[in-house]
Amino acid sequence: MASAPSDTRISTDHIPVKLIIAGPFGVGKTTMVDALSEIKPLNTEEVLTQAGTLVDDLTGVNEKTTTTTAIDFGRLTLPGVVLYLFGAPGQARFQVLWQELARGALGVLVLADTRRIDDSFAVLDLVESTGVRYAVAVNNFPDSPEYPLEAVRQALDLHPHTPLVVCDARDPVSARASLIALVEHIRELMLT
Amino acid sequence: MTSGRQRRRVVPDYMAAAKLTVPEHISVERTTIVVVAPEAVTDGLDPPGSHLIALLREGPLSVYECAAYLGLPYCVVRLLVAGLAETGTLLTRAPLRADAPDLEILELVLSGLRAL
Ligand SMILES: Nc1nc2c(ncn2[C@@H]2O[C@H](COP(=O)(O)OP(=O)(O)OP(=O)(O)O)[C@@H](O)[C@H]2O)c(=O)[nH]1
Ligand SMILES: [Mg+2]
Repeated sequence: MASAPSDTRISTDHIPVKLIIAGPFGVGKTTMVDALSEIKPLNTEEVLTQAGTLVDDLTGVNEKTTTTTAIDFGRLTLPGVVLYLFGAPGQARFQVLWQELARGALGVLVLADTRRIDDSFAVLDLVESTGVRYAVAVNNFPDSPEYPLEAVRQALDLHPHTPLVVCDARDPVSARASLIALVEHIRELMLT
Repeated sequence: MTSGRQRRRVVPDYMAAAKLTVPEHISVERTTIVVVAPEAVTDGLDPPGSHLIALLREGPLSVYECAAYLGLPYCVVRLLVAGLAETGTLLTRAPLRADAPDLEILELVLSGLRAL
């Protein structure tokens, strides 16, 4: 039970940076965390009450009124920094979990599926409610309709400056390019 | 999107029975880095505590990773870590607040991602 490969350890002098990969059901969150992570992606359980609040003591954790939701977790060590990647579901009932996850996060990459554009609204609402900066990446599937990005931007009602890119969540190069678009956007916001 | 495991006990019995010392103010978060204190006395710990120590023997991990490897929910491991940090068995390093990001950190992330 308590074993993990020793080559998965980090050095404590890297600055931890938290990034969230968000999106509706089945959009490719787990796939993208997997593509980016240097460790085998992990699953950590969050315990929520029916009311959506987080359980933060042990009394009541085993109650029938609690449910668990699995969050994907990956890690990417870069010179001087270690990225912690959280793959998080975007349904409205996860509002409280989101407030917590977003605390201290550098940014959120929102994955969207053009076959189900409407599913992205709840996620965007959640992300905007946290105030964390975000970019949107359209994860293309073989049967995705080919809309021009401007049409997707309109459909999602995105701010003109919010980055909108197309990605393949399975491809590490493409996944990293989406993260770069997000971080460049955050830097621009800082410099202006 | 629940994991469909609600019928399993979220906290195993051995955990529920363990005598957890939980400090009043907890500053442990998901990305807090945890390491065993060099002088730590780790004999006589309850099973969850000794499992955690065994896991950390090989080097530091974030709280979230500890939870995944132990197969325990984050909320449980957070308390476990907080208790063992209070007694000096574990050392923790708080995550940096990235919500007011530092330009230097952003550049490190960007150049690191570009170099991959
Ligand atoms: N063709 C194609 N398939 C993809 C892509 N990304 C993900 N998939 C597939 O789509 C399915 C769902 O992807 P997941 O990564 O599990 O999606 P998720 O967002 O984690 O899903 P939930 O956790 O269930 O909400 C999987 O079968 C993936 O293999 C992509 O870019 N292209
Ligand atoms: Mg998933």
